[in-house]
Amino acid sequence: MTAAVATLVLGFVIGYLGQRSRLCFVSGYRDLFLIRDASLLKGVIGAFLGALAGFILFGFMGGSIVGFPMFLKTPGLNSVSAWLIAVIGGLGVGFVGALAGGCPFRMHVLAAEGKRTYWFYLLGFYLGLIFYNLVTFRILERITSLD
Amino acid sequence: MSATEQGTEPVSSSKEASRGGKACAMAHIFGMRWNPSWRKVNVSPLEAGVVLGFSAALVQAYFKVIPPVAYGVCMVCHPRDLVNWLADHLLKIEWDYSLASNAWPLLTVVGVVLGAMVAARQHGESFVRPSRQRWFYFVNGFLMMNFGLILGSCPIRIVLLTAYGDLLGVVGCICIILGVVLGTMSLRWSARRSAARGGTA
Repeated sequence: MTAAVATLVLGFVIGYLGQRSRLCFVSGYRDLFLIRDASLLKGVIGAFLGALAGFILFGFMGGSIVGFPMFLKTPGLNSVSAWLIAVIGGLGVGFVGALAGGCPFRMHVLAAEGKRTYWFYLLGFYLGLIFYNLVTFRILERITSLD
Repeated sequence: MSATEQGTEPVSSSKEASRGGKACAMAHIFGMRWNPSWRKVNVSPLEAGVVLGFSAALVQAYFKVIPPVAYGVCMVCHPRDLVNWLADHLLKIEWDYSLASNAWPLLTVVGVVLGAMVAARQHGESFVRPSRQRWFYFVNGFLMMNFGLILGSCPIRIVLLTAYGDLLGVVGCICIILGVVLGTMSLRWSARRSAARGGTA
């Protein structure tokens, strides 16, 4: 219940700020590469610095920041197949994000503004989730079981 | 509080008078510039990013948005948790969701849509606009969800993971930047190709 209410409030705040500032985590890299404009990339850097400051501060204050400075250790990347999956996923997210012109956060904001184009994006997004649960998830299980 | 306000008010009112009677008193709240005369909020991407990152750390530290670490904001995993939790509890379909949304689902995506709708309404930027290239965007959304869940995070959570010091965050961030460069190059290539075609035809 706590987590649900907290994420609802946090979502409202970042949705509001995202609509006002055009914050996007894919367009930042794209604008830098395409038109040498770093204004949106500052949002990405700001999120990194804000998160870092928050983790350090709340870690000192005794919040549940478990094992915070991980120093490039990870529970996820422990096999060849995990590396392969991460690299394919990362390249795919970047490529598709650049084609669509934004990250999922930006697409939700644009859809909420009433742009019907992005309603179709969200339709594909949630149908893609059902496809993932039925097909992609099973394929990933097969690949990881090969190790 | 009243003493400080009394101290500052004459200054702001004299400025307002010098600007032709327009109310230009600027209130700085969390870096937002709120102008009461226009009722408009202007935020720079940097300020929005800092608030996003810091509050993502806050909800992890004190509001139980954890076992997966750095899980405060994710626009791929939180919709997955919400939909799969609903499928599990309403339709009894056993689809996976994270431990953070074990008792109640995470409602980030609902909040984002509501917040953006309120902001757009408030600033007169909310109209229904006709769609273009709807199947292209449909396929993009479909692929984004699948690649995002293969990676295990969206571009926002990758930044949070990088701040956490996780190797997956660093690798994912590099791969996303490479993917964006490849995608932009392919967009450029297709634009050049269509321009060349238009030139010859």
